[in-house]
Amino acid sequence: MSDVQLIQGNEACVRGALAVGCRFYAGYPITPSSEIAEQMVRLLPGIGGVFIQMEDEIASLASIIGASIAGTKAMTATSGPGFSLMQEHIGFATMAEVPCVIVNVMRGGPSTGLPTSPSQGDVMQARWGTHGDHPAIVLAPSSVGEVFDATVRAFNLSERFRTPVIVLYDEIVGHTRESVALPDSVEIVDRIQPNSDGSEFWPKRAAADGVPPMSAFGDGHRFHITGLTHGERGFPTNDPQVAEALITRLHRKVEAHAEEIIEVEVFMMDDAETAIFAYGIVGRSAREAVLRARADGVKVGLIRPLTLWPFPYAQVAEAAKQVDTLVVAEMNLGQLIGEVERAAVGQAEIVGYLRVDGEPITPTALLNVVASVSGGQA
Amino acid sequence: MSRNEIRIAGTGGQGVVTAGRILAEAAILSGGEATHSQVYGPQSRGGASRSDVVIATEPIGFPLADNIDLLIILSAAAYAKYVPDFDPDGQLIIDSRCAPESMNGDAARFAVVDTARAISGGHLVTGVVALGVLQAHTGVVDADVLERAVAARVPTQHRKMNLDALCAGMQLAGG
Repeated sequence: MSDVQLIQGNEACVRGALAVGCRFYAGYPITPSSEIAEQMVRLLPGIGGVFIQMEDEIASLASIIGASIAGTKAMTATSGPGFSLMQEHIGFATMAEVPCVIVNVMRGGPSTGLPTSPSQGDVMQARWGTHGDHPAIVLAPSSVGEVFDATVRAFNLSERFRTPVIVLYDEIVGHTRESVALPDSVEIVDRIQPNSDGSEFWPKRAAADGVPPMSAFGDGHRFHITGLTHGERGFPTNDPQVAEALITRLHRKVEAHAEEIIEVEVFMMDDAETAIFAYGIVGRSAREAVLRARADGVKVGLIRPLTLWPFPYAQVAEAAKQVDTLVVAEMNLGQLIGEVERAAVGQAEIVGYLRVDGEPITPTALLNVVASVSGGQA
Repeated sequence: MSRNEIRIAGTGGQGVVTAGRILAEAAILSGGEATHSQVYGPQSRGGASRSDVVIATEPIGFPLADNIDLLIILSAAAYAKYVPDFDPDGQLIIDSRCAPESMNGDAARFAVVDTARAISGGHLVTGVVALGVLQAHTGVVDADVLERAVAARVPTQHRKMNLDALCAGMQLAGG
């Protein structure tokens, strides 16, 4: 581990990306993500990497998709309005199976909204923002240290599954500085290369786990990449069986490995009668609220997903069986609360604590909610 | 565990964010845990600006200020925004220009803004003067550690001016 330093979330994102081998960044600066671009432009050239400020966010994502196809680990970072512009190419990267990492530091929306205030309003956009049926991997760190880990993990998952991975955190996590010691080295996963035995290369013929090996442009294989529905040879087709096989495989390669992808912090749930479901910065308010309520003898626990998509339905269902009430706290008007209801299927009362004024949800506020639902003073 | 929440509130351009960062770095140099968060409007100068620092002896769960122990006010706008709701048990330090002496009888008053102007000719080092006042008035961090943190954070060409500002702040509060 390196020495303890005071580091901002956005800075930890850059450190994680560089540690795991990111050598290409293209982006268009936007608050509250701009520090990522600022650090990348300083650090990448000195280690043989490339930084490009593109004309907009559409071009930014196009550019990192190209870099990834050429064999380089690549990322971009943005916030609400820019994330909206990136949706088209998130779909392309999903369909063409191009590994890449997109960081969205959430601010208040819609539109340009509250540029300097936190929000969790893009949670459903991260899942469903691009059109068509598609899988999504979305990670939600809640601290500076977790931003580092999530960025590393995002690259590794994107390489492992050949799909774009989104790191989603809010302005507070992005801008807060915390004392952390970051690891000197990290686990690095690289995309599977095709056999070099001279056999014919079909760019979309998947291995048993649903993930096709990936050759880089320039490595010697000739192949075609398209956003159109395509067969194992990579060329467009309208064949219904091929279409179904492709879309099914794109989903299966992620969903069949959900256990490998999903991370959830389960805290003080053993005897809990009430649980708080919260993520990102709100997850830390909730943990503090749990500790304070426990000190007063109130039996409260925490379910904090670090992976938002695939959604941890099994973990939430298990919690719902156990507790009387599940409090869902989000800085939006109710986005993941719908998924919690789907998972709970009526087994616990679901109570939302939702805030969209650009101010954080504090431990004190959650303590009051817990007190009111548990029928006593917390 | 001990947890100390400090808010420095003023105007963009006073160095409020930098001051908070320096205070957090000084806490880490002292072997403690710290977080620093900032709130600012779209403008970098002239708008309301604040910097919150949490200092603790153990890892910090919730990184933002939730119950401020010590509030430092460096502008009239910050006074109007933060003082009315401030916990009466908390410690309040006010720049002497920000509110009449008849108000907040328990508050400690220091000529932070005037001192900063005398040193820098403007607002630049206001936050660092406030750090000097904070150190001498509360001892929340040691003077020598704070001095090291200031020297490490500010640009080399402004180091002497900032260290002078820190020293002047300490003298204002009798340090």
